[in-house]
Amino acid sequence: MSDADIIQRLRQDLGAQALELTNPDLRRIYLKVAPSDLVAAVTLLRDKYDCAYLATVSGVDKGETFEILYHFASPAANINVRTEISKASPHIESICPVIPGAILYERELQDMFGMVVDHIPDPRPLVMPDDWPAANFPLRKDWKFERPAERIPGGKL
Amino acid sequence: MKFQIPIGPQHPALKEPISLRMTVEGEVIRDVDIRLGYNHRGLEKLAEEKSWIQNIYLTERICGICSHSHATCFVQGVEKLMELAPPKRGMYIRYLVSELERVHSHLLWLGVAGHEAGFDSFFMYTWRDREVVMDLLELISGNRVHYAMNTIGGVRRDIDEGQKAKILEGVEVLKKRSEYYFKIGANEPSFVARLAGVGMLSKEQAETLCAVGPTARASGITRDVRKEDPYAVYDEMDFAVGTAASCDVLGRVVVRVKELMESYKIIEQILHKLPPGEIVVKAPRKAKPNEVVSRYEAPRGENIHYIKSNGSDKPERLKVRAPTLANYPATVEMLRNGFIADIPLIFAAIDPCICCAERTVTLVNFRNGEETTVLLSDLRRRAAEIHRNAPPKRNAVWPF
Repeated sequence: MSDADIIQRLRQDLGAQALELTNPDLRRIYLKVAPSDLVAAVTLLRDKYDCAYLATVSGVDKGETFEILYHFASPAANINVRTEISKASPHIESICPVIPGAILYERELQDMFGMVVDHIPDPRPLVMPDDWPAANFPLRKDWKFERPAERIPGGKL
Repeated sequence: MKFQIPIGPQHPALKEPISLRMTVEGEVIRDVDIRLGYNHRGLEKLAEEKSWIQNIYLTERICGICSHSHATCFVQGVEKLMELAPPKRGMYIRYLVSELERVHSHLLWLGVAGHEAGFDSFFMYTWRDREVVMDLLELISGNRVHYAMNTIGGVRRDIDEGQKAKILEGVEVLKKRSEYYFKIGANEPSFVARLAGVGMLSKEQAETLCAVGPTARASGITRDVRKEDPYAVYDEMDFAVGTAASCDVLGRVVVRVKELMESYKIIEQILHKLPPGEIVVKAPRKAKPNEVVSRYEAPRGENIHYIKSNGSDKPERLKVRAPTLANYPATVEMLRNGFIADIPLIFAAIDPCICCAERTVTLVNFRNGEETTVLLSDLRRRAAEIHRNAPPKRNAVWPF
């Protein structure tokens, strides 16, 4: 199945749900959906487009909004589902009921960007240490690393 | 009575040191909990502050074994962003190093598998053979581990006729030695019996949990980025995707042995077809605002980088997903309902860096809360004891 065929079929299946559908490179398809249509779109991809394999989930801080990309791969093409949520209320529905392998990537999103993944089966922190200060999300653009002052135990301050 | 065994987390040399907390009932693992991030380096954040060229060297240091994989994955993405067409000779040399790296990584892993199964002669054979390919890599790049071959627009070092002949010679030696691995199972039924049926991961599980690389291919999924999404030179190469249907650690050994042979084939094809010409083109300093998904088949599985540029000389976002991370959910399923004694073998089978787990296995006795620390070598000894008297699995067959 060629890229053009996949795009054609996606347009038919998704209708108005597909906000944007581009094919900038061979075997690379970018699809944009609204956050409310995400789970439906992912289910469709899994069932009809042989995209049970989720390569990873990327988050991008775009200033006012967060962009989330779900990189799927089928034997025919690499389909990237993109959605955008506001930074003020960063809620996104979990896709784990559809793709169980997404759990680690969604937990990483919560840790790194402070997004809230609703109905995630396991919301504990994944990569951040237990004593990490709350509301510090390293991959947000406004977060800067400041090295804590070095203190020698028992030494002078 | 249920016990909990924590494994990890301090693995200083590992990219992603891992803490596995296992709930066991007797010798059987009932549940596994996974905790990452003990050595998180904040590399994705760091990449946003470095220029495209600096990032090649940064990504090369993501992994110590497949260093070329991450750098290549990054560079082939950046070349797309900059709309560069690297010269053919440069590409051939780049993917020649990729395949040599795969050979060295698989030989290393086969040795580890042999060691964990208590078959140390196999470990010594494979690691001796690995020296051949390490020497070849040193001949090409001057380094044994961090080759630093990649640059945006091509590679940094050319190879001459003498080196070409030496590589072909080395591959010939490796081929002969690898044929021995094909026969190993027929000669060593105890090795096959130790691996068969351990760490089962069904095809359905591998699919739903998004496993990658040899782990997925050993469960009968023919997913290989080199075939599915042939980047760079792979559409000109003739090779097969090695799979196995046994879904266990034996299958993972079989897949890697098959892949070794395919890699030798690819290396020979690359060298015979090596076109003359330039090895690098000049790259601009900045990239236009755009985004790219770069996929690469590393020795451990699919490597994926998502790169977004913003018009400056630094990336806006670099997302890196290493294959080991993708295989963790599958590892949990493999360990479930297995034996404590099989932990080293199953965990090694996804090919993480296990060398540092040596000192961090603690057994917690829940009856009296007493903790005892055991070395991995001790765990291995226990495994050997248990399996010494076990009858060989009669139905286990070496597939070659």
